[in-house]
Amino acid sequence: MSARLSASHAAFLGIVLAITGFILWSALSASTSLNNLIVVAPAALLLGVLALCIVVAALRSPDADPAPAGALGDLLLLAGFGIFCYALTHVGFDVATFVFVWAGIVMSGGRSLWVPPLYAAIFSLALVKGFGSLFPYPMLTLVL
Amino acid sequence: MLDQFALSQAFGLLFSSFDPWIWVIPGLLIGLVFGSIPGLQISMAMAVFLPVTFGMDFLQAMLFLTAIFTGGAYGGGVTAILMNIPGSSSSIATAFDGYPMARQGKHNEALGLGLAASVVGSFIGYILLLLLIGPMAALVLKIGPMEMVVVVLWGLTLIATLNDGSVAKGLFAGFLGLLLSQIGMSTTGIMRTTVGNPHLLDGIPAVPAMIGIFAASELLRLRGSSYLVTDEAQRDISLRKILTGVAETFRYPAVLLRGSLIGAGIGAIPGVGSSVANLVSYGEARRTSRTPEAFGKGAPEGVIAAESANSSSEGGSMTALLALGIPGGAATAVLLAAFSFHNIIGGPSFIRNQTDVVYSIILGNLGQVLLLAVVGLLMLRVLGMVVRVPLAYLVPSVLAMCAWGGYGITGTIAGPLTVAAFALLGWLMRRNAYPVAATVIGLLLGRMMEGELVRTLQISNNQPMTYLLERPIALVLAIAMLAVLVGAPSLKALRARKARRAGQ
Repeated sequence: MSARLSASHAAFLGIVLAITGFILWSALSASTSLNNLIVVAPAALLLGVLALCIVVAALRSPDADPAPAGALGDLLLLAGFGIFCYALTHVGFDVATFVFVWAGIVMSGGRSLWVPPLYAAIFSLALVKGFGSLFPYPMLTLVL
Repeated sequence: MLDQFALSQAFGLLFSSFDPWIWVIPGLLIGLVFGSIPGLQISMAMAVFLPVTFGMDFLQAMLFLTAIFTGGAYGGGVTAILMNIPGSSSSIATAFDGYPMARQGKHNEALGLGLAASVVGSFIGYILLLLLIGPMAALVLKIGPMEMVVVVLWGLTLIATLNDGSVAKGLFAGFLGLLLSQIGMSTTGIMRTTVGNPHLLDGIPAVPAMIGIFAASELLRLRGSSYLVTDEAQRDISLRKILTGVAETFRYPAVLLRGSLIGAGIGAIPGVGSSVANLVSYGEARRTSRTPEAFGKGAPEGVIAAESANSSSEGGSMTALLALGIPGGAATAVLLAAFSFHNIIGGPSFIRNQTDVVYSIILGNLGQVLLLAVVGLLMLRVLGMVVRVPLAYLVPSVLAMCAWGGYGITGTIAGPLTVAAFALLGWLMRRNAYPVAATVIGLLLGRMMEGELVRTLQISNNQPMTYLLERPIALVLAIAMLAVLVGAPSLKALRARKARRAGQ
């Protein structure tokens, strides 16, 4: 099975079905009126049926799911991005952006020792003073 | 249809001095910049610059704000083409074919196609507004929830056509979006799936989700490459190639005209607007094309259909504002605020008593559209430079801007975290060949769909089909939709079968 349905595909279907089950359960617990379930119930039902069709089609297929390379690097950058998003309002927009952009350049293949941190510093400064000045909300910064 | 005297007065108001035009070019530039940065909304730009209009006279203020609107509508398409990041929900369909064109080294041509389609679309939208503002206003008043349900359904049908490889995966992605749109307080005030988190009361913020699923997941996919355009020889920004794209637009007059008409029609419906118009137009262009298999792989018709529709919907959205005093979306709401600053109330009396001012706003917008062609051409040379930036620098920088954009929309940690969560979802979907655009369409239209369905059920006393027969506009729209979705493919299949038999 695993050869025909790749691990990431199985993970995706599993996550979606878990979310679907939770949303359906939550909506049913809140109210069973037609007005409340008019989109939730048919969408959840069809998602279940379609997931079954997709799994059956994948298992019947003579070819295995092609597994694109570079998953580990992508997941590392994604994890870094998640931490960066959280750090924006907890550490500061300026420092979080500087560290993430610097690390991101290095992870994406930037080789120079001094260009990535210099670029990250200038970019963070431009974002804080440019983009940030347009925000109608308060923005936490640590240095700038 | 046109009040000749008011029209001549409008020309006088616009062209007797240069004053009304002073702020048009700055407005277009502001719109282009805001539209092309993910997370910076056109309505946000208009709101930020609204106080600047205090010192202007009414016409000057209107032309400045609508110039931001016009520039922003095109700016969103630029990033959709160059980086697969729709600047706003109205540019989603632009990315479907614009980005594949850019990856093939045809970014200049794609930008030219987008610019020409935007200019022509806006122009047609405003010409229609000028000619039909009276009758269209009466029509808009007759649009109810049943009509909205049919229009939204039309937009949703695009989901089924988004994945060539597997229809099941396209539908799965679309229904996932529909289901996710149901998180939060329902139309009738019932709490669902908020898990006690106040940020989820209003549901998942659609724009940060769109930024995450489209942009962040695409950027991760680009990580291994060196440049957006692999071939160094094709990385240039060529005015000649942009103009080739501009000229190519006119090789598809039917796509251009149909997109513009769909945009103007759907744009006039308050609350629906350009986010649905570009999807419906793209879907129709694909359905009626002789080469539907080329769509999604860099078909020029796809860019033309999407850009002409989202630009002409701007003229449509002004219908309700000018004729009824009802804002159809966030951008027109800011325009309404500018109306009140200048003690002007939109609506039938405004059209009747100040026809010259109404005409001058519309004519001024037509002038702006022509200026957009010039400003756009000049700005494209700057905006197109992005293909020359090494991806090692571009990917983390744009990812950072995506998170900032998420914060700019919500003002809380919920925005950046939504971007991150949807980046993971988009990454998983792209790895397994699911169309992320279908999820975004479901997410954008699901909430609207639920609200209109519930209202229809309430109005019709749970008898929607009987109610449909009493609504001529909804009935015509439903018949047209069925004819397009079922009738046209059946007719095509029948003709093909006849041709095969004749061949035998």
